[in-house]
Amino acid sequence: MTTLHILNAAPTQTSQLSSCLRVLSAGDGIVFCGEAVQALRAGSLAAQQLQGIDPSCKLYALEEDVLARAIDAEALPVTLLDYPAFVALCVAYSRVNSWT
Amino acid sequence: MAKSVLLISRQAPWAGIGAAEALDIALAAGAFDLPLSILFMDDGVLQLLDQQQPQALEQKDLSANLQALPMFGIEQLYVAQHCLTVRGLADNPLALTAERVDDQRIQQLIRQHDYVMTL
Repeated sequence: MTTLHILNAAPTQTSQLSSCLRVLSAGDGIVFCGEAVQALRAGSLAAQQLQGIDPSCKLYALEEDVLARAIDAEALPVTLLDYPAFVALCVAYSRVNSWT
Repeated sequence: MAKSVLLISRQAPWAGIGAAEALDIALAAGAFDLPLSILFMDDGVLQLLDQQQPQALEQKDLSANLQALPMFGIEQLYVAQHCLTVRGLADNPLALTAERVDDQRIQQLIRQHDYVMTL
């Protein structure tokens, strides 16, 4: 009964990421899209927080948003997605929590 | 059996339309007897503060809608204790009876519901 959390805002702008991490359950996934991909920037406070999450939780990001912002997502175990893969992922989890 | 919904309301009452829209969704769900729970989280906990005076901003008072929730059958109301605490409201009386929940209980709530909607 896992949840896919979708984040769309930068971690420096809103509390989306910090709140999401507080209520993340084992086996959940997080998709970073739009400005939320800034959380994946190596060396950032957000990236450090992400390194500490439960290893059973998976990280995903929209590839085009990562490329557009010159983010090197190699520092974290992030799976890059295109839109068809994003849709498939939404169906694979029990529920989707789209943070606004 | 109807699918259950957890509505997570994260916006302050006067910071946009999010708080009012979340309440509208809840009341509509209640009118159709859909099993819906509400979790007030982040700035959303500010909706539960007593004695706010929205008239000063020429805004509509949300507290009447909040009080209507139990009448519409929406009785599963939760508020994130951590979010109250960091706002200096740990022990404040709330305008609505809501169960104060910690992070672990919130994780459970998310897992217990079929759908989650965050506003």
